[in-house]
Amino acid sequence: MSTSPEYMAPVASDPAAALAARLRSGYAARITGELVVPAQAGRYAALPAGLDPRLRKALAARGVERLYTHQAAAWDSIQAGRHTVVVTPTASGKTLCYNLPVLQAILHDQTRALYLFPTKALAQDQVAELTALNQAGELGVRAFTFDGDTPGDARKAVRTRGDIVVSNPDMLHQGILPHHTKWAQFFESLRYIVIDEMHSYRGVFGSHVANVLRRLQRICRFYGSDPLFVLCSATIANPAELASQLIGAEVHAITDSGAPHGAKHLLLWNPPVINPDLGIRASARSQTTRIAKMAVKGGLKSIVFAQSRLMVEVLTKYMKDTFDKDPRHPARVAAYRGGYLPTERRAMEKKLRAGSIDCVVSTSALELGVDIGALDVCVLNGYPGTIAGTWQRLGRAGRRQRTALGVLVASSLPLDQYIIRNPEFFLGASPEQARIDPDQLLILLDHIRCAAFELPFRDADRFGKEDLAEMLKYLQEQNVVHHEGGQWHWMEDSYPANSVSLRSVAEGNFVVIDTTGGAQTVIAEVDYSSAPETLYRGAIYMVQSAPYQVEKLDWEGRKAFVTRTRADYYTDAIDYTRLKILEQEKRSLNVSQGEVHLVRRIAGYKKIRYYTHENIGYGNIDLPDQEMHTTAVWWQVDPDALFGESGAFRSRQQALDGFLGAGYALHIVAAMRMLSEPRDLGRAVGDGNADWFATVGPDGRGALLNKDGEAIDLTSVQRFTPTLFLYDNYPGGIGISTPLFQSRAAVVSGAQTLVQACECAQGCPGCIGPILASDEVRGYSPKAVALRVLDLLVE
Amino acid sequence: MDLQSRLSRLQSQVGAENRDTEPKSQLSELRARIAELEKRGRARKQRHPTTAPALVAGAEPGAGSEHCGFGGEQIAPGLTRICTRYPLTGTLGSIELHSLREPPQLPGEPGLAHLRRVYLDTETTGLSGGSGTLAFLIGIAVVTETAIELTQFLITRFAGETAMLSALADSLGPNDQLVSYNGKSYDLPLLVTRFRMQARRHPFAGLAHLDLLHPTRRLFSKRWPDCRLITLEQNLLGFHRIDDLPGSEAPAAWFSYIRNGDDRQLKRVIEHNAQDILSLAVAHQVLAQAVAQPDAFGVDLYALGRWLVEQDETGARELLQSYRERLCDDATRLLARLYKRSGNWSQATALWEHLAAAGCVESVECLAKYHEHISKDFSAARRCCERLSNNAAHEHRRRRIEGKIAALRS
Repeated sequence: MSTSPEYMAPVASDPAAALAARLRSGYAARITGELVVPAQAGRYAALPAGLDPRLRKALAARGVERLYTHQAAAWDSIQAGRHTVVVTPTASGKTLCYNLPVLQAILHDQTRALYLFPTKALAQDQVAELTALNQAGELGVRAFTFDGDTPGDARKAVRTRGDIVVSNPDMLHQGILPHHTKWAQFFESLRYIVIDEMHSYRGVFGSHVANVLRRLQRICRFYGSDPLFVLCSATIANPAELASQLIGAEVHAITDSGAPHGAKHLLLWNPPVINPDLGIRASARSQTTRIAKMAVKGGLKSIVFAQSRLMVEVLTKYMKDTFDKDPRHPARVAAYRGGYLPTERRAMEKKLRAGSIDCVVSTSALELGVDIGALDVCVLNGYPGTIAGTWQRLGRAGRRQRTALGVLVASSLPLDQYIIRNPEFFLGASPEQARIDPDQLLILLDHIRCAAFELPFRDADRFGKEDLAEMLKYLQEQNVVHHEGGQWHWMEDSYPANSVSLRSVAEGNFVVIDTTGGAQTVIAEVDYSSAPETLYRGAIYMVQSAPYQVEKLDWEGRKAFVTRTRADYYTDAIDYTRLKILEQEKRSLNVSQGEVHLVRRIAGYKKIRYYTHENIGYGNIDLPDQEMHTTAVWWQVDPDALFGESGAFRSRQQALDGFLGAGYALHIVAAMRMLSEPRDLGRAVGDGNADWFATVGPDGRGALLNKDGEAIDLTSVQRFTPTLFLYDNYPGGIGISTPLFQSRAAVVSGAQTLVQACECAQGCPGCIGPILASDEVRGYSPKAVALRVLDLLVE
Repeated sequence: MDLQSRLSRLQSQVGAENRDTEPKSQLSELRARIAELEKRGRARKQRHPTTAPALVAGAEPGAGSEHCGFGGEQIAPGLTRICTRYPLTGTLGSIELHSLREPPQLPGEPGLAHLRRVYLDTETTGLSGGSGTLAFLIGIAVVTETAIELTQFLITRFAGETAMLSALADSLGPNDQLVSYNGKSYDLPLLVTRFRMQARRHPFAGLAHLDLLHPTRRLFSKRWPDCRLITLEQNLLGFHRIDDLPGSEAPAAWFSYIRNGDDRQLKRVIEHNAQDILSLAVAHQVLAQAVAQPDAFGVDLYALGRWLVEQDETGARELLQSYRERLCDDATRLLARLYKRSGNWSQATALWEHLAAAGCVESVECLAKYHEHISKDFSAARRCCERLSNNAAHEHRRRRIEGKIAALRS
């Protein structure tokens, strides 16, 4: 992309702009695109006429004499009694959009409000802000957090005295709704429900939250209240749609921000090619480290986002090796990620706000609005997978209306390469569609259980779009509810919310216990779904870049025992996925959609040495298979078209390589088109019956493995029908495969274009996956065979 | 493809993993889908063991013919009242029941003659609380001149709950005092929840409530392994229950009755509840006796003293004084403090001297303060200080006393 006309020459006094200029002049070849968002002046509106004088005073004390236009628009919409969603950038004064109407209602009508944030940290920030406003205006409004950290003796005071209760969906689900009678007064006078960071409620989590809100509304009706929803979100393509799916009602969207902001430079950075034949590039890790070091040396406060907890620890180690060599000085570099204990994270946030840390390396845990103060530079080590996520992370830099610099460093992952080579797509595309499926059967059933516990259902009731009576009859067969006199009563000695986790379809976190020196200290928590690939025996598990080795994994007890180690390597799990078609629901020529049974096995792990990144050994992992039942789209090709007289392939090997390459390209394009998180969508090539599945062997060729993960000979298979799967990566599916099936033609043609237009000769990580040097020499073209398969997939 | 063949095809495809024994023809499509999802997505969970009894189609036990096989009478649809009279003759364990004629009184308990004690205990459908848990059996008892009169309200279907709560509310008057065992934490909050679920005002607002678990803990928590009611029965009332149904099995007993009319276990729950309430009434009397004669019951004198202090300092002092020779050090210190507060310095200092001789630092300090501020015997105060260790506070006191001695001399 060409430099935008609004671009202004860097000024010496503007260090972020100066760094941008240095990068631009020193590494022009690596920068594939640049965007300058010019500074924007604010647009303002007068404070609303009806605003309580005490609130006016509080605002004046905080230096607010007028509102941004979007804040005024939100006020009008809310006063008109409309459910409202506000969608404006990071740091545009979203919180005032809901705090003003809520405080006004408390001061005038003694009503109550419930605020929901996705995490405890955000809730605590919010209470601090409310307290400041409250003190400034001597409003006498009581705002309390209510979460797992609230001590037992304080809970009653929160319930009975809190004007504003700030909580999270998990607490609402497990701690509030099942005990709603204790909250009777609160629900009776509940006027507003505020849901901030709405965009984080998508996929499985969002589908659960939509059901928690159905339960909340049901309880409110019981107590005779009908609260208004105010939602806030980062920029996504379909805020009104998501909001209305979440709350089950029409929602008015306000999307035009009146807030001013400083200039933003964004550089798209592709690591240099180090092996042009194979299309192999220098690692994103090395580039990210270099840019971040330049920033810190230049006195700029920086944040580095990495895609995995493992990469956070690796990058932190590299940064610390430069900046924290002397242990007598306070650390300048810190890691921040999920899995650390809450106290450790709170302490880190405090240091960040105080400015005593120069560089923080984080996962998406910091993407949400945790207040960490002003930062100048944001380096993304790899494309975050979604455009909304990219913008939100970039928004971490430049909060104080001065120039901010963002650098997106592409990894060799195909999605990254696709984005970095097509910057106009990234810069021009409307950001992702957030999808939820509140009527996903397993999730819906979970919440019908919880709702039945909270209040008996009546025969005429509705809950979700499925037939409630049928669902309840199913629960009656399981002796969970009992039908009597037109009502369904809870009939089990249990507390159903405790067995339902909103964050996953699986359940039960693992704790990591350090046993070094005989003590037993809990040092981290790992969620169920990532435990198999991070806590196997022999794994190196890192906390603040200190390595621990897993000595023992107690799978049933959900515990991993670790000890401190001095290992100079880290470990990376190897996994295999087998799929079996259970039922074909739709079919169109070569393409089908339906239900599949999936078995994932973590078979072993690699040991990878620091800095050189050479593979220095393997280990075996003995863990139970992860099974799930989900939905998928799959492609199969008539064997005649493959191997017949005028067939496309002369050997099974060629065809298999073609399917693997084609699958690689289809996966990239499908993830883009569906605008889903890449992990929401899985890819596999197999026979559709779980008898064999394909993987790329160490020789670069496709190879077949049987049920037990043992290699089998290609020619020994009787019926060779390679099947290419893209599957929904959640039990029961979360609604990706239907839109994928509908846009199958565009996905296939997109993959063709991707492969054809790629500048590599025989294939590369940007199109059909990495290939071997020997192929290049022998003139064998995995790219050509992949294209041949894609041609066969066109309808 | 019709549903049956669809199901059988699905099941043949999943082969060995299929352990479904339900008759397929009765499953609707939706239910089949859920069943499939649950089997595969969550094979780990196993929430519902397959031993659960099959539901008889259309049967709602108690729906058509309300039967009262519990020795009670049906007073409203779905509500049975069982009245039992236990004359105050004979014994319960080692306790003569006629001793209950005299209303007991514990420290701090209002002893008004017109106050009626209502002993209460509930059996519930779950032990983890929450709005989906209800009380299916509420027992209340009052003690008259001649008998313990027990009334149990049992609901024989969900619809009976409203009438049961009304009956309970009607049984209580403004001059009642509830007596329970762990009722402040468990039974009462649960009943309040049930009244709210019925959108009714609960009747407990102005009522006094004595939870006997609390005095039991005060007096015996150091003496007994735990303070459950059966432990109290064994240690204080002198009997062991035989063939008692544990409270934890109460929910299953009621569910079993509701589902298929099986009342065997439920009858045992009713007996268990009656036993709990009888023990409660007798325990009230015995606890009052234990306070009056602590040595006869192995009461922790220090704990009793501390409890009494909150109600009546004179009473506490008189009690400890009467056992002066047998007090533990903690109790002796407490008695010394009570003497001090009543201005009886000679008794207080005597005890402190006794304790100080046994190495009690706190008592040496008390003596130092006494000599410095009350008797003004500064040299005695200095002698006390010399027995104290060298921390900052002690050092400060020592210097101040030295100063006072110097001031006297000059």
